[in-house]
Amino acid sequence: MRSFLNRSGFTALLGLGLAAPARAQTDYYNTDRGRPVQIEDAYVTERYAFELKLAPVWLERQRGGIYNWGLDPEIAYGISPRTQIEVGLPLVYTDAGVARRSGIAGLELSVMHTLNRETETWPALGIRADLLAPVGGLAPDRAYPTVTGIATRTYRWARFNVNGQYTFGSALPAAPVGGVVTGAGAAEVSRWLLGGAVDKTFPLQAMLVTAEFFGREPIHEGEPVEYSTSGGVRYQLTPTLVLDGGLGRRLNGTAEGWYVTFGSAYAFSLASLFPTGR
Amino acid sequence: MQVRKVMTRAMTRAMALVVAIGAVGIAHAPASAQWSRTYEQFYLPGKFNWTFRNTYATADRLFNAFDYGHAILYERLYTEPNADSSLLEVKEYDFITRKLLVSPPRLPLDEAAIEVAYAKMAPEAMMMFDWAHLLHRQVYDVLASEDMSQAEKDAKIAELVRYYKTRPDLAFSSRPKNMDLMEQQPYSLAFRQGYPKFNGLIWGYHWLQVGLYEPLMTAMDLNGRQAGVLAAVARFRQMLEHAPEHMPRIMPMTPAIAPTFAKRYPEAAIIFDNLHSMHDVVSDILANRKVPKSQKRVEIIRAAERYRDDTSYVMTEKEWMDMAQMMGAQNMGGPAVGILPGWPTPTVARGSTMAEAMKNMQHGGQGTMTNMPRMQHGADSSAKADTAAMEAMPGMSHGADSAAHDMSQASGRLPSPPAAKAVRKSSPKAPVKNAKVTKKPITAKKPTAPSKPKAAPKAPPMDHSKMPGMHNMPGMKP
Repeated sequence: MRSFLNRSGFTALLGLGLAAPARAQTDYYNTDRGRPVQIEDAYVTERYAFELKLAPVWLERQRGGIYNWGLDPEIAYGISPRTQIEVGLPLVYTDAGVARRSGIAGLELSVMHTLNRETETWPALGIRADLLAPVGGLAPDRAYPTVTGIATRTYRWARFNVNGQYTFGSALPAAPVGGVVTGAGAAEVSRWLLGGAVDKTFPLQAMLVTAEFFGREPIHEGEPVEYSTSGGVRYQLTPTLVLDGGLGRRLNGTAEGWYVTFGSAYAFSLASLFPTGR
Repeated sequence: MQVRKVMTRAMTRAMALVVAIGAVGIAHAPASAQWSRTYEQFYLPGKFNWTFRNTYATADRLFNAFDYGHAILYERLYTEPNADSSLLEVKEYDFITRKLLVSPPRLPLDEAAIEVAYAKMAPEAMMMFDWAHLLHRQVYDVLASEDMSQAEKDAKIAELVRYYKTRPDLAFSSRPKNMDLMEQQPYSLAFRQGYPKFNGLIWGYHWLQVGLYEPLMTAMDLNGRQAGVLAAVARFRQMLEHAPEHMPRIMPMTPAIAPTFAKRYPEAAIIFDNLHSMHDVVSDILANRKVPKSQKRVEIIRAAERYRDDTSYVMTEKEWMDMAQMMGAQNMGGPAVGILPGWPTPTVARGSTMAEAMKNMQHGGQGTMTNMPRMQHGADSSAKADTAAMEAMPGMSHGADSAAHDMSQASGRLPSPPAAKAVRKSSPKAPVKNAKVTKKPITAKKPTAPSKPKAAPKAPPMDHSKMPGMHNMPGMKP
């Protein structure tokens, strides 16, 4: 997972949970990027709500027995109608024999806006702008901006999400074999990413099962298009706490291998930010 | 290497399929595309939040099940308009009453995940309901907070209402809406007539939802509140036996079911009555087959606007209070505190409109109004009768208050679903004569003394000259 995260920049690096739409009481129904799958829905965090992700962890095993893991604490806030802002600080550890590195892999800044609510004629549409800033020893040596378009369409039997993403900035030199993190190469980004997810909701159990398939072109020179698939579950434990877990596999590319994710998100708010005269 | 190439090609095709699925969803939009920008907003924070859930788990979980009932009702009515009434009256009703209400969900439901098609058709209306339900639950939390003084509760509920109103695009008006809006529209009554059991269930929900405020307010301590809430829940469950016999016969109104609450927090109570009223309106619009599918949204959005504004179909707070008392708790499922083993005797037919109920007010005739609170029958009332002065009757007016009654089909009510006819035939025309009083004791511990209903203040004789809407009312004998 780490390698994939490296290659898809802040999208994937923090992808395990940075963009976190939340419904305070029914957060399980809002899939977030990386929580547990990469492809998310078009809805943002409720207005005035914070969503705090304290323990979103991921672990991956690549070919050759390379293990990478990370912790991606993030917080999102519904700053205005249909709009959220988000900040994340991913911590990464890689273990490839003697080449062990750990540290901060960038500062993630994000703004996401839901254009509309889903209707009979329109899917829900969202746009997101991200910036991965060069903060930390494992961060890229320059900032990478990314834009993402999101569409969500719901049917009685399933819901579909489609994400398309493009990252600006010059291409990076080819990544080291095996995806071992080395300095400025730590935060490789995807030039583009395109994928879809399908999820099935079990509303009485406050649970959602999802699966995705996506492709991405690493921004590194000479890298082929990579394909990944994964699945996972979101489960509402309490009115304010949701858990998620996922299992995925990169099907090709230099970082081919398995990865697992686990996360939790807690919704809260601050009274002083509310418009009730206080 | 060759295998890898083939694999890559296959994956690329799969990617194209994914893009195509997304494109279909977007390209599907016609020129008249319905674009909605409504949005969700977090509940007002405070340590009182979730107190009701933590203290009264049984009742709280029932409310989660209620969410399902509303959602599946709308979804079925909208997506299967030609289905036999047994889909709701038997299949869904049995699932809800035999499974869901027996073992309710542990968390509030996301109704959009249940009423998928309805949520896409009228997201604005769905959000209105969500926003009001949030207020509902937060008021329970405040009233259930044992560490808050009465003054603190008053202040907090006032703050909750203020916050609720910060969303004028979602907030129900805190001015009472008269019954014309609910019962005198071309589509009105279709649901209650076509689906009497499910309608009774929904009214039972609303009875409990407003009724629980009463034991929370009238009991003196936690034990009393616990007992009162349990008794109300037990009464609700009793309503499900021999349905719809003991279910409310008309929409429960907060001043009748939770008079203490309505008197202290009239704005909140009015909002909840408007909420429940609009629930019925949406059900009618969806259930009435004469409203084409293409017009369902138009009518729902129009009704939603009327429930939000402060001008159309309004009556005064006093008229609202009076009307609730006149119609009587006994027709709305009975009181929510001081519950007796038997059932109160209803005085109106199941599914009656307020107008029809008024028609039955034959003073001194069949004695149907003997239990009507705040109504004095006989000389006093008849002596003061002045039909010319009755035009301002809340809920009955067809004049000034109904200025916004601009329905193109307003000349006549639309026919009800076919199922309604059979139901109507079986509905008792003379409900009082048919009404049974059962003696089944409720299983829950009876409320302690403080939760007993206070003796109603002796009301002055009802001055019929102040009963708007009674003008030319057939069957009315002044």
